[in-house]
Amino acid sequence: MTQTRSKVTRRNFFKAGSIIVGGIAVASALTPFDGVLFATERPKGKGEWYGIGIDINKCIGCGKCANACKLENNVPKDPFYFRSWVEQYTIKNDGTILVESPNGGIDGFKQSVPDADIFKSFFVPKMCNHCAKSPCVQVCPVGATFETPEGIVLVDENYCIGCRYCVQACPYGCRFINPEKGTAEKCTLCIHRLEKGKNPACFEMCPTEARIYGDLNDPDSKINYFLKNHTCMVIKPNLNTGSKLFYNALSPEVR
Amino acid sequence: MPQHIKRLVSAFAVVIILFLVMQQVLTPASFGKLGHYRADAIPENEMKTLHYAGSAVCTNCHEEMQTDKALGFHAQLQCEACHGPGLKHALYADKFKDKELPDSLKLHKPDQRKDCALCHEINAARIKIVFDTINNTMIHQVNTLKHNPVNKRTNEKVICIDCHNPHQP
Amino acid sequence: MTQHLQHLYEVLSKVDGYVYPNEIELNWSILIVLYPYITGLVAGAFILASLERIFKLHVLRPTYGIALLTALSFMLVATMPLVSHLGKPFRAYEIMVTPHLSSAMAIFGFVYLWYLMVVLLLEIWFDYRCDMIIWAGETTGVKRFLYRAFSLWTTDISPKAVALDNKLGYIVTIIGVPSAFLLHGYVGFIFGSIKANPWWSTVLMPVIFLFSAIVSGIALVMLVYNVITRIRKVKIDMPCLDAIASYLFYILLIDFVLEGLDQIHRIYEAEESFDVLHNLVFGRLFFTMFIMQGLIGTVAPLLTLGTLQFYKPKEKIRKVIYMVIPALILVGIFFMRWNVVIGGQLFSKSFYGYTDFKIGLIGTEGYLMAAFWLIVPFAILSFLLWLFPPWKKKDEEHEVQNA
Ligand code: HEC
Ligand code: HEC
Ligand code: HEC
Ligand code: HEC
Repeated sequence: MTQTRSKVTRRNFFKAGSIIVGGIAVASALTPFDGVLFATERPKGKGEWYGIGIDINKCIGCGKCANACKLENNVPKDPFYFRSWVEQYTIKNDGTILVESPNGGIDGFKQSVPDADIFKSFFVPKMCNHCAKSPCVQVCPVGATFETPEGIVLVDENYCIGCRYCVQACPYGCRFINPEKGTAEKCTLCIHRLEKGKNPACFEMCPTEARIYGDLNDPDSKINYFLKNHTCMVIKPNLNTGSKLFYNALSPEVR
Repeated sequence: MPQHIKRLVSAFAVVIILFLVMQQVLTPASFGKLGHYRADAIPENEMKTLHYAGSAVCTNCHEEMQTDKALGFHAQLQCEACHGPGLKHALYADKFKDKELPDSLKLHKPDQRKDCALCHEINAARIKIVFDTINNTMIHQVNTLKHNPVNKRTNEKVICIDCHNPHQP
Repeated sequence: MTQHLQHLYEVLSKVDGYVYPNEIELNWSILIVLYPYITGLVAGAFILASLERIFKLHVLRPTYGIALLTALSFMLVATMPLVSHLGKPFRAYEIMVTPHLSSAMAIFGFVYLWYLMVVLLLEIWFDYRCDMIIWAGETTGVKRFLYRAFSLWTTDISPKAVALDNKLGYIVTIIGVPSAFLLHGYVGFIFGSIKANPWWSTVLMPVIFLFSAIVSGIALVMLVYNVITRIRKVKIDMPCLDAIASYLFYILLIDFVLEGLDQIHRIYEAEESFDVLHNLVFGRLFFTMFIMQGLIGTVAPLLTLGTLQFYKPKEKIRKVIYMVIPALILVGIFFMRWNVVIGGQLFSKSFYGYTDFKIGLIGTEGYLMAAFWLIVPFAILSFLLWLFPPWKKKDEEHEVQNA
């Protein structure tokens, strides 16, 4: 990963910080809000700025992503802790919506509604949205969760106090408290793999290439190709989180 | 200033100075370099150990599987999607050529019906349309409980890989 | 660990509909219910005290000192439930060392310190300094040392110095009222600013928290005053209690109206989250919301106190009422906090289902721990009343002689 990490003195940082915060506040008040394009545009800088694309049409719900995530990142095996999981949405003919995610999809899905009753059904893989305006980063009282210059939201587990405010603030339910460590945990986009030039585990293991990631600042990147050639949407655009996880063929039922 | 107000002000001054000193002492060194966080947390996160090797690695030693697979319908499947994380195996298996692998290096062999069912079980949500225009493939689905449960001649229970080569189904 | 997991599996079997897998565990439990409850008691008690001082409502004089000491003793433990529920309690200092300015919780550390150090401690110091010096002369041993130390070894009790104390104390009180508003409004903001959670995210949250805080604080002081007079075997000052009761009534009324407004607004707008919240309120929250908070904590006190506004029964009956009603209100406000904190986590942010809540007796998040943090302030209060008995103050005795 190449990036420009300039050294800023504390005072300059506060100065710059307040200008940026003020600037973002003013800018977000002035620019009309667009759920998708909003997060793809980075305010400044030329380094990498990661975005993720998931094609719902391609997902076959094998749960290999969720499984790989747990194994790669030593996530507790119990079904209450997931950095990445898969949901099956079933919209019945009578209009009711059924959502299932048995063990995050790791053990596979069983169709629970007979074909005749189904209007449509699809899988939705979920993971951290790596928001550009993360509510979780905003509320962390000590700065133990933050956005790297590459746009990856990370947790500093040696600094987190375990107050769980970020867990409450995440609209997507992507965070949990690691029961052994007592600190917050979430998807890191496998930054330890990226750094060694490998793909994140969930992307690597997907049998159908339903998920891709790339540099939003690079016009020729996979993610930009994906965004240009599909009708993409983010989850809960009304919350203005600047989500950088774009879904192709996302139904409005998905929340 | 009356004596008691002086005392009070100095008490407050002491508390505030103590606080500021503590703040200086306790703030981690790399805090604030890149933003309101410990810049060192990024390398710390990057230092985590890997478990998955990635597909390219397996080819080095298991070329026949790779070539098998590349010709079949499972061409897009990563070895580790079925076999589980194999970085340790890829690093150390060499030492055990023609010998039994120790348990810690053995990889999972997903030969049960439920293993194939993860992807191939019939489900309304699995798309039946063409999803990869380049290879022109789709995910074929079978009812894993009813699709050839027994060998018709011997009437013995059979598993998927008795008939399908997992690497070239 | 294993017990925790067992408990989670139990909850898993009670999940209704779909919740995100990470939401099965309730992150903020009873300790976080206590935290706004206790801070609310502080703010409310202080505001009662300042009514006497700023608005010169001298009928409230008997409760002035008690209210201040109650506020202080609850303030001292206000952050303890918060700290003891942390995953890493020993890192709590980081909130003060590297506060993240965009985080409501980080700023709360400073609001808290400001209120404790600059408002409560100062006001009490100015109020008691002269008395502490006098008491130091009358006592020996540890008590004498404590008086000396707390008065910072000052000795000046000339009328001029005392007058200055009074003046400064008055200024502090004036600063204190907005600070008390800030303190508890801020606690409301911690919840109200979470846009991910439609049950919390409302602009009215700080205001509602504030008014319910005032209600609970006044009720607590009323109760404490009742108990103390009984223990000291002195005559209860009925005009004082009558006055407090009528303030309590009006503020409770405002609180009720505000909360009603919030709910009506929610129902009328009927946003995306409406169905899930509706089912929550009539399902898993029915008992705590309608019975405990609504009926016992709000409607019953409102009717009783309202009646007292135009019909005054015999003193004996009023005495009973002034014992029972504050207790009911305290229970009601506790469940109001419960409904906010626990209720806000019972439904999934996907709006497709509900998780369940269960707490054990022991453990860091159990009932015993919670009871402990509720009892400690009363222990501190008894200590403070022993050390600084408001009824033994010089000006107080003076007043009694005058009367
Ligand atoms: C350094 C060479 C090497 C690499 C790289 C390697 N393997 Fe192996 N593998 C071996 C050896 C040696 C054996 C054991 C001897 C044999 O049966 O050939 C083996 C055996 C296996 C077995 C059978 C294990 C058993 O229990 O019988 C599997 C499955 C396997 N490898 C999968 C993989 C996968 C998947 C990868 C890629 C991550 C991989 N290997 C990479 C050398 C390698
Ligand atoms: C569809 C899932 C699947 C994929 C993808 C897959 N394998 Fe396998 N592999 C299996 C199964 C099932 C067996 C067990 C076969 C058996 O027991 O006869 C196996 C067995 C093996 C063995 C042991 C062979 C033996 O004769 O004992 C090796 C080595 C191996 N796989 C390597 C690979 C490599 C290398 C790749 C990637 C190029 C790969 N596999 C991809 C399912 C898979
Ligand atoms: C990780 C998901 C996955 C697993 C596990 C998996 N497959 Fe597949 N399989 C695929 C995909 C993707 C294809 C290619 C699309 C297609 O042709 O259906 C495929 C194709 C096939 C086909 C070719 C169908 C056809 O005629 O076109 C067969 C047969 C098959 N798999 C059998 C198996 C067997 C047997 C197993 C268990 C050892 C297995 N698969 C495990 C994903 C998987
Ligand atoms: C007795 C041998 C046998 C066994 C065991 C067996 N299959 Fe098959 N399978 C076949 C044959 C023969 C075909 C091709 C004829 C057909 O379409 O039925 C086939 C076809 C398929 C297809 C492609 C279906 C299509 O629509 O074209 C898939 C997918 C498949 N099998 C998966 C599996 C899975 C998964 C298992 C294990 C649960 C399994 N098979 C077990 C013999 C077997």
